[in-house]
Amino acid sequence: MSALIEISNLTRRFGGLVAVDGVSTSVAPGELVGLIGPNGAGKTTLFNLISGFTRPTSGTVRFKGEPIDRLKPHAIAARGLARTFQNLRIFPNMSVFDNVSVGAVGAIGQSALQAVFGRGARRDEITARTFAALDRVGLTDRAGELAANLSYGKRKYLEIARALAMKPDLLILDEPAAGLDDSETAELARFIRELNREGLAIMLVEHDMNLVMSITTRVVVLSSGRKIADDAPAVVRADPAVLEAYLGVEA
Amino acid sequence: MSDLRRLPLVPLALVVVVFGAVPWVLTLFGKGYFFQVADLILIFVLLSASLHLVTGVAGLLHLGHAAFYGIGAYVAALMGTELKLGFLWGLPAGGLAAAVLALIVALPTMRLVSIYFAVATLAIGQMIHTVLLNWVAVTKGPNGVMLFSGIRLFDIPVKGPLAVYFVVAVVVALSIVAIHRLGHSYYGNALRSLREDDQCADAMGVDTVRLKIEVFTLSAFFAGLAGGLWAYTTGYVSPQDFNFSNSILILAMVVVGGLGSLPGAIVGAVLLILLPEVLRGFGDLRNVIVGLVMFGSILFLPKGLIGEVSALALVRRHFVRPKGEVAGREVGW
Ligand SMILES: Nc1ncnc2c1ncn2[C@@H]1O[C@H](COP(=O)(O)OP(=O)(O)O)[C@@H](O)[C@H]1O
Ligand SMILES: [Mg+2]
Repeated sequence: MSALIEISNLTRRFGGLVAVDGVSTSVAPGELVGLIGPNGAGKTTLFNLISGFTRPTSGTVRFKGEPIDRLKPHAIAARGLARTFQNLRIFPNMSVFDNVSVGAVGAIGQSALQAVFGRGARRDEITARTFAALDRVGLTDRAGELAANLSYGKRKYLEIARALAMKPDLLILDEPAAGLDDSETAELARFIRELNREGLAIMLVEHDMNLVMSITTRVVVLSSGRKIADDAPAVVRADPAVLEAYLGVEA
Repeated sequence: MSDLRRLPLVPLALVVVVFGAVPWVLTLFGKGYFFQVADLILIFVLLSASLHLVTGVAGLLHLGHAAFYGIGAYVAALMGTELKLGFLWGLPAGGLAAAVLALIVALPTMRLVSIYFAVATLAIGQMIHTVLLNWVAVTKGPNGVMLFSGIRLFDIPVKGPLAVYFVVAVVVALSIVAIHRLGHSYYGNALRSLREDDQCADAMGVDTVRLKIEVFTLSAFFAGLAGGLWAYTTGYVSPQDFNFSNSILILAMVVVGGLGSLPGAIVGAVLLILLPEVLRGFGDLRNVIVGLVMFGSILFLPKGLIGEVSALALVRRHFVRPKGEVAGREVGW
């Protein structure tokens, strides 16, 4: 199995605190992997390391076989790795369409000269990708509205559409269900699974154990920065070390 | 605002006004002074529109725009007096010189946290002004440079206020079209994403530092062109026209008109040049009135006349880090 992303011995210290402590794992093409752990376990830090927002203290990250742990976030994104943020981050003063177009233009690129003189294939491709991504999340009919006017739930989909417009090979989602009610969470879970079935590899940080267990093929568990489990959902659910980390019970 | 922008009627009406109504009316009055005011308005429309790209669209607080305007003016004027190279050389050379200088300034400063970048632009503005004032051997210092040659297009001298007005109007109109396209394109959307949340833009594959350097440089190019127009329409450049208060005046135009809106930047420029002229009867009081208009527009129209973002929100963001999990020390802005 050749991994899409391969994380080896990744460590990140913040002063005396070891937020991520020697973590190794991988995601294969087409996989849907859950990443769980109590608050402060280092899940977001791991995502920041993968996406280039934080540099590792030691260890490496390889994406499609090449090291990416020294690259800037935009260079990693350009290689096909898209992320969303734990605290929903959209561009509030831009339209829904323009929000999503940034994902497409980030991936495809348009120069200043092309903007002034060009019509051209690039522009059409960006437009097509933007509409395709809007369509995928069902926001086409709201394309012209200001992003700030969308409901909280719709903004989550907007953020995912923006990532999809990049046509990534790996999508990493940081607590996408945070702040959603039960039915919205179920709908989002269905949507994430659908994306995965279409062939997109996804890494999913989630607090909601049930959601993770029900849609993922493998679950990685972090506790105090260390990986304590990495297995099929059913196995992880019964793992005494995981139960202890979550519930504080001695197994 | 976006509805207004989509109507082709608006640009058409603008063309009719700028190339038809205004020169016609001014010719009826037949006063050179009115033409000077019209030229001045057009020049500041270009300055305001170019700053709009950096501050309104890309969200970078820029406090030294007038310095790049000055570089363009001095380069165009000195090329005319020292090298005998006329308008068609001096104008683009002024724009390019301003752009090259902006690039040199931007390369080391663009990585700075935005409030420090704003301070850096302030410092650069002051430095350029000081050089213009004190490098007497080249700039003639406080005396300024007189440029008597006037505009020539190839071998044809452009004579009379009406003809000069048309030359200025053509240069400004073409520049505005270019600025409009830069702002209303996917490139422009990438610029807006810098203003909205540049870390997030980074995660979408947008090379934020490079884009900021580009927009700062492009903006300086247009400011340099405006400088060349100033040199050739007034025939005289001196350091005081390019000092800090001019930078602030241009910034005020962008803010009063509305951050992020090109029509806003244009309206802001027209308003802030015309208002003091209209209020001449009030003597010194007119500056107070102009100040009150600026103050009131920030207070009562947080998004300016037709803006996309509130100026206060933009400034506040320059001081407060966004809350978020990647807002850690080393991520920076
Ligand atoms: N930039 C930072 N500076 C200092 N400490 C940090 C930083 N980012 C995260 N941490 C710390 O690292 C630990 C892991 O945080 P995080 O990765 O956000 O956990 P999770 O996402 O699993 O809740 C926490 O103790 C957090 O306070
Ligand atoms: Mg987290």
